[in-house]
Amino acid sequence: MIEFKGVTKRYEDQVAVDHLDLVIKSGEVVMLVGPSGCGKTTTLKMINRLIEPSDGVIEIDGVDTGTVPVTQLRRSIGYVIQQVGLFPHLTVAENVATVMKLNGWDRQRIHKRTEELMDLIGLPYQEYGKRLPDELSGGQRQRVGVARALGVDPNMLLMDEPFGAIDPVTRDRLQEELLRLQRIVRKTIIFVTHDIDEAIKLGDRVALYNPNGTIAQYATPAELLAKPASDYVEGFLGAGRLVRRLGLIPLASVQIPPANGGRPPDGGATPPEVAIDISGTLRDALDGVLRSPDGRVAVVRRPEGEGGADVVGILDAQAIVALGR
Amino acid sequence: MDILGYLNQHGPELQTQALTQVYIVAVTVLLSVTTGLPLGILAARSDRFGEFIMGLASILLTIPSFALFNLLSLFILNFIDPSLAFGDPPTIAGLVLYAQLPIIRNARTGLKAVNPAVLEAARGMGMRPLQTLLRVELPLALPVILGGIRQATVMVTAIATVGAALASNNLGRTILDAVGSSTPNRAAIITGVLFVAAIGIAADTSLAVIQRLISRGRITAAAAT
Repeated sequence: MIEFKGVTKRYEDQVAVDHLDLVIKSGEVVMLVGPSGCGKTTTLKMINRLIEPSDGVIEIDGVDTGTVPVTQLRRSIGYVIQQVGLFPHLTVAENVATVMKLNGWDRQRIHKRTEELMDLIGLPYQEYGKRLPDELSGGQRQRVGVARALGVDPNMLLMDEPFGAIDPVTRDRLQEELLRLQRIVRKTIIFVTHDIDEAIKLGDRVALYNPNGTIAQYATPAELLAKPASDYVEGFLGAGRLVRRLGLIPLASVQIPPANGGRPPDGGATPPEVAIDISGTLRDALDGVLRSPDGRVAVVRRPEGEGGADVVGILDAQAIVALGR
Repeated sequence: MDILGYLNQHGPELQTQALTQVYIVAVTVLLSVTTGLPLGILAARSDRFGEFIMGLASILLTIPSFALFNLLSLFILNFIDPSLAFGDPPTIAGLVLYAQLPIIRNARTGLKAVNPAVLEAARGMGMRPLQTLLRVELPLALPVILGGIRQATVMVTAIATVGAALASNNLGRTILDAVGSSTPNRAAIITGVLFVAAIGIAADTSLAVIQRLISRGRITAAAAT
């Protein structure tokens, strides 16, 4: 658990972070999001003391970080930055091994862990270990950056706009990969971004900053989209917020009107032409409705290994909106 | 003009002088790196110090070598130990001063060209400043630093000949004697110059090869300037 207690960072006549109180639970992905200069990056860098707070205390599992030797603190926290910052003169494997070396691991252990991490990020040691960072694509470099940060298996990962400079298609894949990785490694991740969609997609919780270094709302993505705390938050979430909210609601979690029990919503007898798998979200269902000729979709469950599909229920636009409220 | 004839007659003498020349250059480069590299690191850290020290090193280069060697001999080395006042010591001392500028300048340029993101990553991962310097900054700047050493080496190889005027028995001796005689010996002058050039080119080439070998992934001289 990370706890900010009345943390302030002042620069001469400017306040970057203002009396911040924030609790980050272990194993959660917390997204710090806000406009440029709002203090989100300053907040992140105060955790590993790349920036020292002017006031207040930051505790990790109850220990004031100010009392821990700074290099020891940093070696126990993974750190990933936007420009990646791989060491260009070292091979991919050597880069991944950096923090292990700093922690004085022996060669065998380093080799084993490096192989394990490179498998985890999908760049197998045999093929990529001896390459230089320049020989990788931007997305591959960023994955190596993540592997390097995971080196000594820290409990915590700080990510400073790690996907900010990457093309949208690759970014999307890296985001999916981070979610997959997080299901395996279960780290406490503090992730800075200026992209609200990224925050909603990746975060267990989102801290949305005001421009002046305070937090406007700290909530789960669903809460944020359903109940913006202020006009500012609503404005930041933008026009598509309700549609985005539908993307957070799994079909499996709502009561879908059954196909046979009771009449289908429009009373029609023919089954809908578009089928949506139950593993999707209400947003997927809405997508299906929009491309369905009769404005209805069948929500189906496909039993494993069989060709057929069970129809769970039928949805139209009205039903989706009702379920999304 | 008979170079081969001159070589035949003066072979052993030329060999001694050439070895002295190589010795002077080697010692000079070694001492220049041990002084210039730390100064270059400081110059990269502080712009004020960097401008000051590079200004000083530039001024040193404007002092005529003959005057510099004699000044060092008369006013410094003579007081430390009179046996240091003649021959190779004042030559080496003067050359070390000349070599500072290219070495400091290149070290500074190379270190300042290291990508700030790489440095932030190093710091964020918990490297101490000295670890960052030794494991990241110096290795990355090495090709540029070597470029400075190369320049310095070629420069001092040529200027070392002036030391002959202070009784250093290097290739400058052959040239100086030939120039100074009432009937200048052109074969001797050209032989001496060719020997000096050969040493300079050999040193430059071997350093260039090393530079190319270690350049992978690092800052190249072209990228730094």
